[in-house]
Formats: sequence, structure tokens, C-alpha cells
Amino acid sequence: MLGKKLIVFTLLATLLFGALSVVAASQPETANAVASVVQEAGETAEAAHELPDPFMVLPFVVLLLMIATGPLFYEHFWEKHYPKVSILLGLVTVVYYLAALHDTHSLLHTLAEYLSFIALLGSLFVASGGILIKVDKKSTPMLNVMILLFGAVLANIFGTTGASMLLIRPFLKINKDRIKPYHVIFFIFLISNVGGALTPIGDPPLFIGFLRGVSFFWFVEHIWYIWLPSVLLIAAVFYVFDVRNKGPETNETEYSGKIEFKGGKSLIYLGIILLSVFIDHGVMSWVPDLRPFPIGLREIIMFAVMYFSYKTADKEILKYNEFEFEPIREVAYLFVGIFATMVPALQLIAHEANVYGSDLSAGVFYWTTGGLSGFLDNTPTFMNFLSAAMGKFSLDVNSAKEVVDFQNMHALYLRAISVGAVFFGAMSYIGNGPNFMVKSITERAGLRMPSFFTYMVKYSIPILIPIFTIVWLVFFYGRG
Amino acid sequence: MKKLNEVLENKIQGLYYGNRVLLPFAAEVLKLIYRNDIITDFSWKKKGARYKIYDDYMEIYFCETEDLDREIEDYDVIKMVVVEKGEDLFDFKNHRRIDLRLLGKHKLAIEKVEDEMLFFE
Repeated sequence: MLGKKLIVFTLLATLLFGALSVVAASQPETANAVASVVQEAGETAEAAHELPDPFMVLPFVVLLLMIATGPLFYEHFWEKHYPKVSILLGLVTVVYYLAALHDTHSLLHTLAEYLSFIALLGSLFVASGGILIKVDKKSTPMLNVMILLFGAVLANIFGTTGASMLLIRPFLKINKDRIKPYHVIFFIFLISNVGGALTPIGDPPLFIGFLRGVSFFWFVEHIWYIWLPSVLLIAAVFYVFDVRNKGPETNETEYSGKIEFKGGKSLIYLGIILLSVFIDHGVMSWVPDLRPFPIGLREIIMFAVMYFSYKTADKEILKYNEFEFEPIREVAYLFVGIFATMVPALQLIAHEANVYGSDLSAGVFYWTTGGLSGFLDNTPTFMNFLSAAMGKFSLDVNSAKEVVDFQNMHALYLRAISVGAVFFGAMSYIGNGPNFMVKSITERAGLRMPSFFTYMVKYSIPILIPIFTIVWLVFFYGRG
Repeated sequence: MKKLNEVLENKIQGLYYGNRVLLPFAAEVLKLIYRNDIITDFSWKKKGARYKIYDDYMEIYFCETEDLDREIEDYDVIKMVVVEKGEDLFDFKNHRRIDLRLLGKHKLAIEKVEDEMLFFE
């Protein structure tokens, strides 16, 4: 029922904005801008239009505050009405852009990114729901560390979302006798975020960098020596937490040590999703360009896989996984508001970054890209700061050749922006798509997760900020 | 009054109407998971869920819901930790983990939570 609602919601949004794109494309003065913006994901739209009023950041701030305070202070209102709140606040920004700025292409650009985001997350979520991994081993701190490290590597093959969805259920099951919120939080740190910094598949900002011209293997060659100590350090902190959690003294469960895997069909669907990531006009010239429609062949494939993987999945596995659309529905509704309301914030940031970019060091790029990626979508944040960093050296982000020059001659800056965009997604529940989904799956299993503020105050700030500071001191401080 | 074991073994079904669930046994509910809600407070102060135990059955009201049919999906279940009426509440061995699955037409399957499913007491 809810799945159907979600599909109808996505289709309606696509049709609505598709119609909008046709109207926009019919206007000669905006047609080129629309085409270029839809095509060039992450490109700042401010060049063609005036900047938004800084007060228009307010809907975004209100939405963030409500996401943070809703579950704490007005839980039932929030649970019942968060889709309306999110859409309403998003509409404030949409109406402002249409009526005051007459800027349709910023909205289309955002819609294209949103649909791409939800297509990837949704299809990975549904396909992984048809896979059952049973690990019948006794939970120990060392086993947990090994799973987290394995997941961090897997995040670079299946993406942070795919790895999170595949591993969260077995990870929870292994730890069922001594599960605590910190287990899930470190899972979010390592598998849903930091782990995916080595390949363009790992996290969307790196993929956008790849589409712009950064070599596929550049990230693993230039980031592994930051990734490895960071991942090991976070895993070591987890080990210290976990070794103090003894669990029940009277645990008489016998373990066979077996690892069982079911749902091979869904694994094929996962493979199709991962391959479809590369089906982009910018990567393969034969791929049809569907502009100005804000959805490409890649997204159509992903939505189709989402449908067929659900329809053909093993019913027993869906039953054991208690598969339902609510976690992805929650992400879809919240992020439609986040994507819409953050447009003014991103455009203002892009403007500031371009104005002051030439004065910024690699360290400042690291902290600003990171600080903003913890709360804003990290893909446009990455693009805005990549554009500013390249502008510092009179290079243009829209030229693939100049992007290659930048990666070769100014690797330090690309490293700082890439690490900041991926690592800091772990700072809050809204820092990266899978964070919320992991939280939702955990709560449905009966474990209450920390609130938005508690997550930050008790975990991400005290644990991650010192580690990220060490990364800054060792790799970026005083350089560039 | 039917015993919980009898209900589970004979696959005796419960009922649901709107936001009301009727179960053919009597038990104290310690924890209930309904969608994203983890409910452990069943007092009048909270709006999540309330339950009443009668001689032959028990009923649960989901206060924030008008119609369970509209909110619960195909593979979704309501999970509960219960202690059958008359058994020692403080003995963990008596804590039973069951799930309720909507079958349509007001029928409700009552099953033991299987090992494969995720459920933390």
C-alpha cells in the first residue's frame, strides 16, 4: 500500500516537473540554461540568475530543526505529519524560485538530483531486502570489528547504501544478545559513510567527480592512506566500546559458526543497479540523452529494478526481513523537503566559495566541505567547492581536460574536498541517505536509537571530530 | 480462556477492526513495536497504544491509527513481548515473543517470532 503511494508520489513529482521542464524549455531565454543545468549535475545555477535572499535559508533551517526536535518534543505530530511538513517547506522555496526569481532551472536541477538520489537508494534498498545473510557466530568485539572493516571495503563496491542495506540486518542479528545503540552508530560511521571514500561508486560526490573527469582509480590511489588510518582509528574506538560490553552472563546459545546466504536473484539485481550507475551520457556516448526531462535512462533502469526485484523476490526472505517501504518512504519524504529547501543555501555557499575561493587553503576546503556535508547534500557541496578550488587555479570545472589537469597538479585540494564530503556525512543522521535507513531498520527491530542531538553530542562530535582533526593536522594543515 | 501455546500451536487467529486488535488469550504486554514506534508505556498519559485484559481475551488499541489495514504493509508485523496471565512476570523464561500479521478481512495471524527475524526485547 505504502509502496504504491511512494511510486505514485515519485511518478507525480516526475510528471509535474517534467511538464515544468517542457514549459521552461519552450522559453528561448531559459532553454539553454535548463538543458545545461539538468545535464551538468552539480553545476551552480547562480550564473544565470540572481542570488536568493539570505532569508530564504529559513525553510531549510526550520526543516532541520524540526527533524531534530520532532521525535523529541512532539513525537506523534511529527510521525503523522512529517511528509506534509517536508513538502510544505519545500513548496515555500519552490514558489519563491518560480514567483520571485523566475528560476525554473535551479528547481529542475535539484529535481534531477533528487530523482537520481532516490532511484539509487530505493533500488538498492528494495533489492537488498530480498537477500538474507545469516551468520551463526557468537558476537565478539573482534568479530564486530572484522564485519565493520569488511563493510568499509564493501562500501566501495556496492556503495555505502548497498553495503549498509546488505549488512545491517546480519550485524544486528549477530549482536542480538548484547546490542546497544553504539553498535549501530559505528556501523553508520564506517559502512554508511567513511568506508566509501575509495571509489566513485562508494559515495555520490565522488561519482559526480568521476563524471566530470576525475579518473576512476584516482580516489583509491590518493585517498587510501587517509582512509586506512581513519577507518582503523574509528574501528579501534569501537573496539574499546565493545570490549566493555560483556553481554548476558547466562548465554547458553550454541553457535554452528555457519554463514548462510539466500537470495541470489536479488544479488543479480544489485549487480544491475551498480552497472547502471555508469549508464550516463557523459560516460557512454550511446546512452540517449533525455533532456530536458529530469530523469535519465539510469534512473529508469533503477526504478524498473526496484519494481521487478520486489515482485520477484523470495517471499520467505521478505517475510524474515520484514520488508516494508517505510524506511525508504521516510527518506523520500524528508529528502524531498531537504533537497528543495537547501537550494538557496547551496547557491549562497557557491557564491561565497567562488568569491573567497582564491584565499582558501586545502585545510579550509576540507573543513568547509566537510562541515556543510554533515547537514547538506554532499554532492552539490562537493561540486561547489571543487568549482571554487579549480577557480583558484584558473581552471574550469566544466572542462574534463581541466579537471584532469587539476587532479594531476593540485591533488591536495581534490583530496581535501573528497575526504571532507565523504567522511563528514557521518556527522548527523541527515548527512548521508543510508544513515536514516539504518536508524529506521534498527528501531523497527526494537532498539531505540539516540535522538538527532544525542547522536551528535554523544557520538559524532566526541568521536569523529578528534579523528577528523588528526586527519587535518597530518594531511592538510599548513599545506596548499 | 485459551492458553497462548494453544493459540500458537493450533494457529488460532485473532481479529482486527480499524485500530482495534482482539487476541484470543490474555497476557500482559511488556513491549510492542508498531511500525517505527517502540511502545513500552501503555499508561493513559501516552497516546501510542493501550490494552485491556478480559477473562477470555485481550484487546489493544492503537491510538494514533485510524485503520491498521491502511498502515501495515504486506510483510510488516506488529511485534510484542508478552507474559501470559497467571505466569510470573518477573521470570524472563515466561517472556514470549509473538508477532501479529494482518491477513485481511479482519483476520489476524498470531505467530511466534522466528529466529530469522530481528527483535530485541
